[in-house]
Amino acid sequence: MPGSLAFYHPTTLEDAIGLLGEHGDEAKVVAGATALTILMRQRLVAPSALVSLGSIPGLDRIEEVDGSLRIGAMVRHRDVELSQIVRARIPVLAETFGKVANVRVRNAATVGGVLAESDYASDPPAVFVALDAEVEVRGPNGERTIPARDFFVAFYETALEPDEIVTGIVVPVPAAGSGTSYHKFVTRSSEDRPCVGVAALVRLAPDGSAADLRVAVGAAAETPQRFPDYEALGRGHVLSDDIVGRVADAYAGAIDTLDDMRGSAWYRTEMVRVWVRRAIESARDAAASGPAAH
Amino acid sequence: MAAAAAPMRVPGMLDANLRVRGRVPYAMDLNVVGMLHAKLLRSPYAHARIVSVDASRARALSGVRAVLTGADLAERDDIYPYYGPIFRDQAALAMDKVRFAGDPVAAVAADDADIAQAALELIDVEYEELPAVFDVDAALAAGAPIVHDEPPRLGQTFADIIVRAEADTNICNHFKLRKGDVERAFAEADHVFENEFTSPPVQHVPMETHNCVAWIDAGIINVTTATQMPFAVRASLAEIFRVSQAKVRITTPTLGGGYGAKTYTKVEPIAALLAQAAGRPVRIHLTREEEFVTITKHGVKIRMKTGVTNDARIVARQSTCWFNTGAYADIGPRLIKNGGYATGGPHDIPNVWVDSYAVYTNLPPAGAFRGYGVSQAAWAYETQMDMIAAQLGWDPLEFRMKNLLEDGQAVMTGEDMFDAHFKELLGSAAERIGWDSAEQPQRTGSKVRAKGLACIIKGTVTPSTSTAAAKLNEDGSLQILSSAVEMGQGAETALSVLAAEGLDLRLDQVSISRPDTDVTPYDQGTSSSRNTYSMGTAVRMAVGDIRTQLLELAAAELEASPDDLELVAGRVQPRGVPDKSIAYGDLVRGSRSGNLLANGVYASKGGLDPETGQGIGSVHWHQAAAAVEVEVDLDTGKIDLLKYHAGVYAGRIVNPVQAELQTEGNIAFGLGQALFEEMIFDGGQLQNGNLGDYMIASMEDMPKEISLGILEHIEANDIHGIGETSLPPAMPAIGNAVYRATGVRITDLPITPEKVLRGLRARAAQESAE
Repeated sequence: MPGSLAFYHPTTLEDAIGLLGEHGDEAKVVAGATALTILMRQRLVAPSALVSLGSIPGLDRIEEVDGSLRIGAMVRHRDVELSQIVRARIPVLAETFGKVANVRVRNAATVGGVLAESDYASDPPAVFVALDAEVEVRGPNGERTIPARDFFVAFYETALEPDEIVTGIVVPVPAAGSGTSYHKFVTRSSEDRPCVGVAALVRLAPDGSAADLRVAVGAAAETPQRFPDYEALGRGHVLSDDIVGRVADAYAGAIDTLDDMRGSAWYRTEMVRVWVRRAIESARDAAASGPAAH
Repeated sequence: MAAAAAPMRVPGMLDANLRVRGRVPYAMDLNVVGMLHAKLLRSPYAHARIVSVDASRARALSGVRAVLTGADLAERDDIYPYYGPIFRDQAALAMDKVRFAGDPVAAVAADDADIAQAALELIDVEYEELPAVFDVDAALAAGAPIVHDEPPRLGQTFADIIVRAEADTNICNHFKLRKGDVERAFAEADHVFENEFTSPPVQHVPMETHNCVAWIDAGIINVTTATQMPFAVRASLAEIFRVSQAKVRITTPTLGGGYGAKTYTKVEPIAALLAQAAGRPVRIHLTREEEFVTITKHGVKIRMKTGVTNDARIVARQSTCWFNTGAYADIGPRLIKNGGYATGGPHDIPNVWVDSYAVYTNLPPAGAFRGYGVSQAAWAYETQMDMIAAQLGWDPLEFRMKNLLEDGQAVMTGEDMFDAHFKELLGSAAERIGWDSAEQPQRTGSKVRAKGLACIIKGTVTPSTSTAAAKLNEDGSLQILSSAVEMGQGAETALSVLAAEGLDLRLDQVSISRPDTDVTPYDQGTSSSRNTYSMGTAVRMAVGDIRTQLLELAAAELEASPDDLELVAGRVQPRGVPDKSIAYGDLVRGSRSGNLLANGVYASKGGLDPETGQGIGSVHWHQAAAAVEVEVDLDTGKIDLLKYHAGVYAGRIVNPVQAELQTEGNIAFGLGQALFEEMIFDGGQLQNGNLGDYMIASMEDMPKEISLGILEHIEANDIHGIGETSLPPAMPAIGNAVYRATGVRITDLPITPEKVLRGLRARAAQESAE
């Protein structure tokens, strides 16, 4: 109904959390509004209260803390893409955010937003999962952290409690000798969301074998998919074509792929196979050619 | 009419700077005092009987000023609430039943758009769902539900369209072309190929959605609307309100794109009816989601049979085209004619038989779309050309060259081709892409590269009429009154050039009006790539008349024969004697006429025989070719466009910068339709009716290298429209390149990575089986 939408601009997290408690399901947190606006236009959600995080200081910082980068919830995609520290410390993160949609969207969409939205077809979640990032959230009972791999629960569903707010994400800087990659595969326009997106991290031991291998697949299923058992197929081995192919096949077999306008379930399975392989190869090659330490 | 000495060249669009800075007003920027905002309640069902509509709660909502339902319109004798350019089959609001998901059933005008939207939710509609048909096969099956079960309401129709609605079927119209004896020719041909090709419905996606403001003032129905056809809208509203056309005034500011979506009547009737009901001005401005269900490109299935001889001559072609025209005819009956005859292609084929059908279904209406049926036809014939060449081991270039029309050969509609440049266009496209028939696909890792070609013919609406008026002011400046619609294509710049050079004036001494049906003379519409040619001719005729008047006035003044005088930089002088020149303004003042006035009327002749489709199909024929190099990832089926050459015949290039931009625009349009654009329906419900789910090409999708060959032959003294011409070859050229790279032949657009990968897998399975 006209006039029934209240727009709040709290200046502290406590006030924002209080507003969420007060309005319950009727309230939505709004940051860059790139997703929420569409959902509201399509009448898929009809909140009566919007709680903006735009006036709360301190949520828009990127800082290095104890060998990790901490990225605030209100940091925009474009900021991550262009950040000197992100580019220097975790370049794959800058690259991934730079691949989202187009520059207009990236100038508005926030890191907290893409996490809390939990859209299966977003790029950053898979990278966060591959990098063992941890989501920082704040609620009425204080702060807690949730590993990224546990944060995304289902379609548009996260591990957040109703009155919790994402305040940031902590991403460990990959250890020396690591190479990372994110491959975004689109089947339609270059500005489309991914049909599949695969993030990989490879750390090479001095003997050339993979001391670490992590692979997360986005956009293929409801949530980012990571299988430690299949990563283990590669760990401790030289990442030969055969080994990489076995990991790729294992991922392709394990993911219950979904069917949408960007590709059928069959096609997605085949693309998981291709892009897991390519992502591991890129990460392996980056590890092999990259600086030994930073 | 005498031409100026040398063509004037302009650097692009004259008001580009204002446009980029957002200083050009659109219809949506108009605010009329007391204006209300309208919203439409649309059917959720694809086909349903309207049992009842109860709008009483909406009418009671504070801020609501008018609510209309189909029943409100049906009970009135003072209006005729139907519209449609051929059949009056669309009501301003659905009355007896709804025919597609999105069909408007009620309308609200309120103080603001939010109130109007809220009021919609208070309208209770009871529907009785009916069985529905969504594709042409289902629509034509025996016992299919009938979309229009009432007898067709006809209006004043186009002289060249035979209304052939078949009772008790979903056939909306049928176009026939009969040239030569196809049966005999197929019997005598060495090889006969028969294939089926499909194109899906797609969206125009103009940046500006349909919108208008309507108000009724002292008995005059005023509508400022984003339309490509102000006079068609005027005629429609006059008929609806049962008033003379003199009592309807349509004004049209610049458009934010049209691409055919804004031809004919769309949202104007309901806005005007609401304005009448409320007694206040009413704006309606469709959301993007509404735009998606307002008008689409026709989805089509084409069955094409082609006979060739061993020496690579095409001797016969038979095409059956089923155009899915959706729930309302719109201009479908005309489009299926152009799309139907277009299947004859740019080839010298002595025997051609075409049956082209517009078929009603319960999808959103399909209508004019850049390319106007020719894209769908070209997708079929230019794909089949390569299929034939591959089967018979011919070079696709040579095969085409052997059959492309030359001057004096009969086009498919029977008239002799003239000013033919197909071979020149295709030859230079092949050269620019580095075509070599012996070249094998180049493989690097999983990527493979190859090239493809296509060449097309397109008619422009014939017969058609444009008129213009010219006023030469007492300061020697020139005003053109024209109803040409500026929609970003540069109509005003092109007409400015043609007007200015006719009197040797500077561009800053010339103005071009915006359409205002109270003031500006008739024009059929800005469509069919016709404006620079048709309206340009009318403008040149009017300016030529002014020129004659100036020469006569000066002849009297200088006591010389008009033949001995010339126009130079705003003055008339005896040839080579500037000392004796007289300024135009002085001649105007001396004439005591206040201004010199003249009219230009351009009406092309032609049309086709209803039984044979023979006659004059087009006043002249638009011609284009494309050559493309693609790279296909064999692991994923993904296609990258490496190089693209677009060749198009322009006759004379009036504005080189915009000619190039139009052509580049066609590449963007074409690659989207080639590779991914498709409106996806499930049970008549559009699944991707917004710009998050429906993709159009972005800048990054453009080919890595583009070259343009806009072919000019000044000596032909003709202007060929280029707005659409280079679009149709894009899809088959890309498809042909993909085939040459992979051996996978896709016949149903779009050519998605998944279709290519499935084709590759099928080939691999076949090869291992052999």
